[in-house]
Amino acid sequence: MKRFLTVLVLLLASASILAAGLALDVKELVLSNGMKILMIPKAGVPRVVCHVYYKVGSINERPGITGIAHVHEHMMFKGTRMLGVTDFDKDAALDRKIDEVMDKIYREKYWKSDGGDKAQLAQWQKDYEELVQSEKPLIIKDELWTLYMKNGGTGLNASTGNESTGYYVTLPSNKVELQMLLESDRMANAYFREFYSEKDVVMEERRLSENSPGSLFNEQVNAAFYAASPYHWDVIGWMDDLRKMTKADMVEFHDTYYVPNNCVAIYVGSFDPAALGAMAEKYFGRIPRGKDVEPIRTFEPPQYSEKRMYGQGPAPTGLQLMFHIPPEGHPDAAALSVVADALGAGGGRGFRGMGGGGGTGRLYKTLVRDKELAVSASASSRPQWYVGAFQFSATPRVDKSVLPEDLEKAIWAEVEKIKKEGVTPDEIQKAKNRSEAMFIRALDSAMGLAMRAGRAELNRGWRSLADDVEAVKRVSNDDVKRVAAKYFVKDNSLTAIYTRMMGR
Amino acid sequence: MKKTLTLFAALSLLVVSFGLAQVEKPSDLKFSPLSYEPPNPQAFRMTFANGLRGYIQEERSLPLVNISAVVNFGKLTVARDKAGLESILSDTLIKGGTKTREGSAVEERIDFLGGSLDFRVGERTSILSLSVLSRDLDEGLALFFDVLMHPEFRENAVNLAKRRLTEQLRQANDAPGMVLAREYEKLLYGDHPLTWQATKKTYDAVLPGDLKAVHGRYFFPKNTILTASGDFSKADLKAKINKFAASWSNQSPAPQSWSKTFPAVEPGVYFIQKAINQGYISLGHLGLEDTDPDYYAVQVMNFILGGGSFTSRITTKVRSNEGLSYNQGSRFTYRWGFPGTFAGYVQTKSATVGYAISLILNEFDRIRKEPVSDAEMETAVNFYLESFSDAFQSPQATMATFANLEMTGKPMDYYKTYRQKIKAVTKAMVQEAARKYIHPDRAAVLIVGDFDPCNAGSDKFPGPLDKFGTVRRITLIDPLTGEPVKTR
Repeated sequence: MKRFLTVLVLLLASASILAAGLALDVKELVLSNGMKILMIPKAGVPRVVCHVYYKVGSINERPGITGIAHVHEHMMFKGTRMLGVTDFDKDAALDRKIDEVMDKIYREKYWKSDGGDKAQLAQWQKDYEELVQSEKPLIIKDELWTLYMKNGGTGLNASTGNESTGYYVTLPSNKVELQMLLESDRMANAYFREFYSEKDVVMEERRLSENSPGSLFNEQVNAAFYAASPYHWDVIGWMDDLRKMTKADMVEFHDTYYVPNNCVAIYVGSFDPAALGAMAEKYFGRIPRGKDVEPIRTFEPPQYSEKRMYGQGPAPTGLQLMFHIPPEGHPDAAALSVVADALGAGGGRGFRGMGGGGGTGRLYKTLVRDKELAVSASASSRPQWYVGAFQFSATPRVDKSVLPEDLEKAIWAEVEKIKKEGVTPDEIQKAKNRSEAMFIRALDSAMGLAMRAGRAELNRGWRSLADDVEAVKRVSNDDVKRVAAKYFVKDNSLTAIYTRMMGR
Repeated sequence: MKKTLTLFAALSLLVVSFGLAQVEKPSDLKFSPLSYEPPNPQAFRMTFANGLRGYIQEERSLPLVNISAVVNFGKLTVARDKAGLESILSDTLIKGGTKTREGSAVEERIDFLGGSLDFRVGERTSILSLSVLSRDLDEGLALFFDVLMHPEFRENAVNLAKRRLTEQLRQANDAPGMVLAREYEKLLYGDHPLTWQATKKTYDAVLPGDLKAVHGRYFFPKNTILTASGDFSKADLKAKINKFAASWSNQSPAPQSWSKTFPAVEPGVYFIQKAINQGYISLGHLGLEDTDPDYYAVQVMNFILGGGSFTSRITTKVRSNEGLSYNQGSRFTYRWGFPGTFAGYVQTKSATVGYAISLILNEFDRIRKEPVSDAEMETAVNFYLESFSDAFQSPQATMATFANLEMTGKPMDYYKTYRQKIKAVTKAMVQEAARKYIHPDRAAVLIVGDFDPCNAGSDKFPGPLDKFGTVRRITLIDPLTGEPVKTR
């Protein structure tokens, strides 16, 4: 290895925000290619949480390639020009042949209405399998994963959401350079080997979620609620698209979104920011800037009509009641989170954000405890990046012959009460205290902090974490009444009623 | 609260770094040495009035306090005709109120402070956990000890919990993964307190008096270990805790013991019918206790076999090579005082159930017959050594880890000696562990799925399933009615 003296002049901005009387200090670095590096030094064990977030998720897909953001996340573990292969050129030649034969199969099978010529398909399938066999000796299985594990990587994973995709590892403090090398390599040099068998893996993943009771109904509810915006489909995507998406789709997707100017790397733990910044410049800085990425075009238009859905299946009977609300950062978002908290707060069962189905919320006290209509009842406010949803969920007391429709009436009664009277000063203060305490707790876990700050940076900037706490502090009861009246109306709602199928 | 938002001016930093040349491949990376020693439990151990013990760590960077009480009482102590008492206890220790406070008043106050108070009963231990901002420590502690020492189990809360839990029984056979996990344990442990299940009848049999009796018998200072971390001074906290513990009297319950003989399971296929598009599969037998000297070799062996996610053999064969599944591998579970279970597991579409099982059985066989490779050993051993400090990232989790060592009677130098024991594992020990703890010939293969397509198999690996031994059908019980469930 060459060892030489490097003198670097880096512009490291150090900023801190104050919320709940506490400072969150973040060192920020913007590379010349537009990539952002956030660093939060934290005392403790000699380890560093290293996360990379891309501003891409299922909302950047379109019909025909739904699920591709998630399939792509899988493919990011299947090697690069450097990793996962013994002889790149030899492998690439085979890989191109595999793509050619699969392209013929897809055209025959999916473009022809009769499903194509069976004998011809069988022959091509045989060719494909032979090519795959001959490629196997050239492939080094899961080399990136093995390298991370061998070097003490934990929290090793990746996840795809509607809006963002993250790649995670926590390493000993002396090994962060490994992450810089591997992550910059797969951003710039990803090479999608074993694409077709990995699609099979993802289809198995989809089947797993289909077998989770009630999930097929929930997928339909979500699709009905979001008619126009790309939140319409689930992250996993439709089965047809998983089957038919092509390698070319994958390459185009990668080249569009996996560019440094669409990416944030965040480091939380025990390290020297100046040294880490220099390292980031070296590894991530070598990747050329990509084209600017256009934000999504289609938001959710007004609904103009009440929506109702009924379903049956192998899950508990239940009610969902959903309303469209504005995205995070909107002036009404804070008041809506106070409403969710008054309706569904805590009871000490952990901290899953504002709202919930806990013991001190109005829904629990009225529907579960006093009237004994429900087994559980919850409210949550999910603003999301572009379009939001306020959701009520409740499970009726079947033993007392309560119907979901009875719960619907009871929930509307609670909603009407809030429209008229708002909530109590105690409830508002409770929501404020809880939002502040949640902010402080978020600073406690290095991994949680990396996730929150990294994702926030992609949308409204990491400082928005504190802005949101401050916004909750400013909420008044008039705000509560106003937002309840504005959003909790029939023609902004979807009511979904699910009944357990009898005779299972 | 301050409302200012501070933004420091951009700083220009001059960075001089040595040896930071960008390398092109991982093998060129050179890492500076890093040494780490785990915290010593004795440095955190404290004793309080009436023999109450604790592991306490000051951690003053954030204005937070976490405190938990681990009590030596769990589900295993519950009588068969009151199975599920532990769930009602979990639900009502807080909600049932105390001698001087309504349950809802406790919850309201904790929530108002932005804190949390949570209680869970496990297999052999129960944990009450409080988290509050340090400014609210006194009030939080008062509520915590009131709930821990003086619960009242008011009838309305107990009845509500019973109705809620009974309603939940309707879901007992819904999720295929839950059915598989429960029935696998029933298969391996047989009829034993470890596997007793609540029914409507046993929930109905639990009365507030039963909960009070259990609390009176098992919740006392010498049967409890506290853990605390956060923004306090140890001396202050000790004085505060002593005030409560001083009036908490000890009991002397009869020592508990449970049978450690389990039925011999007939090898072969056990099938549970469910109209789904995949088979959910666990195959294996009982494992070992984590106090066994072979534990370290078994950990390394299982990492290579199917515990080390993508670096493991089962994942490579079943998922990466064949695309048969999303989730697969092998695992040894561990439980206090009993051997845990060993299982290979996979969920795959019905047609490839047989094929996936055969691939996993091949791997069981191979790790017994052939020594593992040097590269596999290196990855597994290095993973355990290099990730070791991860276990001590959170002070509260570290304190809980130490409390658990003491509660379960494990050596307190467990972590101090952990790495040298992992380092001592050799390839021969790995193979020996595989021969001793993996027995494909004795494996029970449990499948939850749709029988006909699973039994038919696929071209690549046609059925029937009795290739793997006699096929026995298991009929599920509806815990609500106690009757066998009709399948469709």
